[in-house]
Amino acid sequence: MKPISLSQGSGGRQSQRLVAAILEATGAKPELPLEDCALLGEGLAVTIDGYTVSPLTFPGGHIGKLAVCGTVNDLACRGARPLFLALSVIAEEGFDENELLGYLGDAAGICSGIGLRIVTGDTKVVPKGQLDGLVLTTCGIGKSTRAAPLGIPSIQEGDSLLLTGPIGLHGATIAVLRYGLESEGLVSDCAPLWETIEPLLAFDGLRAMRDCTRGGLATVLCEWAEASGLGIEIDESAVLVPPPVISVCDLLGFDPFHLACEGCMLIAVSPEETKPALEALRASRYGKDAVKIGIVTENHPGWVTLNTRFGGSRILDMPAGEILPRIC
Amino acid sequence: MIDLPRERVLAAASALRSLVDRPLKFMEVCGTHTVSIYRSGLRALFPEGLSLISGPGCPVCVTAQEEIDSLLRLSERKDIIIATYGDMLRVPGSSTSLAEARAHGASVRVVLSAAEALQLARETPDREVVFAGVGFETTAPATAAVLLQASREKVRNFAVLNLHKTVPAVLEVLAADSELSLDGFLLPGHVSTILGLRPYGPLPEKYGLPCVVAGFEPDQIMAGITLLVLQKRRGISGVQSAYPEAVRPTGNRKAKRLLETVFEEADSIWRGLGQIPRSGLKFKAAFSAYDARVRFGISDLPAREPAGCRCGDVLAGRIQPFGCPLFANRCTPETPVGPCMVSSEGSCSAAYRYGRGDRL
Repeated sequence: MKPISLSQGSGGRQSQRLVAAILEATGAKPELPLEDCALLGEGLAVTIDGYTVSPLTFPGGHIGKLAVCGTVNDLACRGARPLFLALSVIAEEGFDENELLGYLGDAAGICSGIGLRIVTGDTKVVPKGQLDGLVLTTCGIGKSTRAAPLGIPSIQEGDSLLLTGPIGLHGATIAVLRYGLESEGLVSDCAPLWETIEPLLAFDGLRAMRDCTRGGLATVLCEWAEASGLGIEIDESAVLVPPPVISVCDLLGFDPFHLACEGCMLIAVSPEETKPALEALRASRYGKDAVKIGIVTENHPGWVTLNTRFGGSRILDMPAGEILPRIC
Repeated sequence: MIDLPRERVLAAASALRSLVDRPLKFMEVCGTHTVSIYRSGLRALFPEGLSLISGPGCPVCVTAQEEIDSLLRLSERKDIIIATYGDMLRVPGSSTSLAEARAHGASVRVVLSAAEALQLARETPDREVVFAGVGFETTAPATAAVLLQASREKVRNFAVLNLHKTVPAVLEVLAADSELSLDGFLLPGHVSTILGLRPYGPLPEKYGLPCVVAGFEPDQIMAGITLLVLQKRRGISGVQSAYPEAVRPTGNRKAKRLLETVFEEADSIWRGLGQIPRSGLKFKAAFSAYDARVRFGISDLPAREPAGCRCGDVLAGRIQPFGCPLFANRCTPETPVGPCMVSSEGSCSAAYRYGRGDRL
């Protein structure tokens, strides 16, 4: 008996190890380094994700919106236009049917807004107590028309790193609800980013994209540095952290770089196309606050360093285990 | 727009460069200071000769192994729900941690306050709720307030495993340590808002050590360090506050009254420092009904610290995290051997998360 701990599901290194163990046990040989979405050849892209969130509804979204946006964003990261969605619903006995239909209705609305068709699904109900309310699983299929592949192997020394918006909003919103704090006007950034990044696909210098979900921006940056064997240098004062996120982090001892985002994408692009890429992002609905936050460097391969706003410098690491509030 | 805190940090850094003309070693007592210094990369701005070492200011870290084991023993009982601050969850006891115990079925709930633990007791009348009362003068008044509330409401299924410690006495032990030979203390802001400045009096008076209370923002820390260096240069020593907006010389009377009502001074065991007279709190007799050790008939049993772990030496300022042979080898935040690597306030955790860049 080897009990799985919550920290193995919190993003970061312990999650990586559980995934590696699963790959070994299944003998699966996915394309490495691992991305959130697999490319199958001829531009076909497929991704799957399970969604549990407590509470199910939060300012700025709910589990249905989260599921669709997460899948759309995972496909978008690889440059694939979201086309088809398969949806699985597992509900606990006694769950309010109207609530379920409300979530799914909203989710369908987002799908039709970007031309994503729900084509198949599955529904299960389990006895009370065997599940906390509702679990949604979505599998998305998309198609990319880009010749140059997007992903970690394409990242090069000198590339600019762009962020489509502020960080930490989703994680801070959920933390506030989970720990019963005042909401302070926090709203999750949960959003489908396909239309935001679509114009970038025309850029030859576009290298890689990743939405900064579980484990936050720090986790994505560290994964990129480690998997590419290159170094990354981030300018702290360029990264937008909304004041309410800072308050929550100060209170609970969290690092905003570790908090999940659900509508924020990290993008690597060549230095020549940095400016037009930023302009294209800023003209889009969810990219108004797009900024350049750092560069890819040959220095300190495998490490991410942060130049602090105080003129100092330190490393940036991914979170270790479950993100827990501190004592004082 | 001018980034004022940044300008203040850079101005202090430049002042320190001209003021520091000999080796100076200060101790930042508080874990929140440690993290803030590492996170903002301040070390890169210190002039040569100036060094800051971390002190015993991380509540989880200084909790003795025998105390952690008592908490774990309570968690084995099916009738008990442990309510704890999140930091305690992954601290390794002699055989397991609360997080592991939870994965094996123990009832463990993370709370943000003692009040939340009491609420949990009200909501689960058929279970005993034991709150792990950890922390210094900052959290002890909250534990006291909740205990008074529980006793007023006659909540019978609530108890506290008291692990609280107090700061001033341990600083005297460190001040007297000739091997450590400190040049002064950067004192904790939050603890001082409760205590005021008077309890630190012996540090300058008996040991001639400059003391400055500082807030937690990087510019406040740099201001505090500058004042320490100035005291040193002028050959004077006193307790100075660089955090007057929060710290009154007399402290917080209400909080102190709460502490006096519920607790009395006691000796306490600190990891790495051993038993220190008058460095802890125990329940007054009138509140012993809420003492988890009394109610469940347990006492702290001798326990050995993890093999090779040098958290004790780190907490006492005898070595820096990098000086421990386990650091970043066997001991990392994912597989922590000792508490200093577990707690977000721990100096090993801060050095690991933010400081390894110094060696790139």
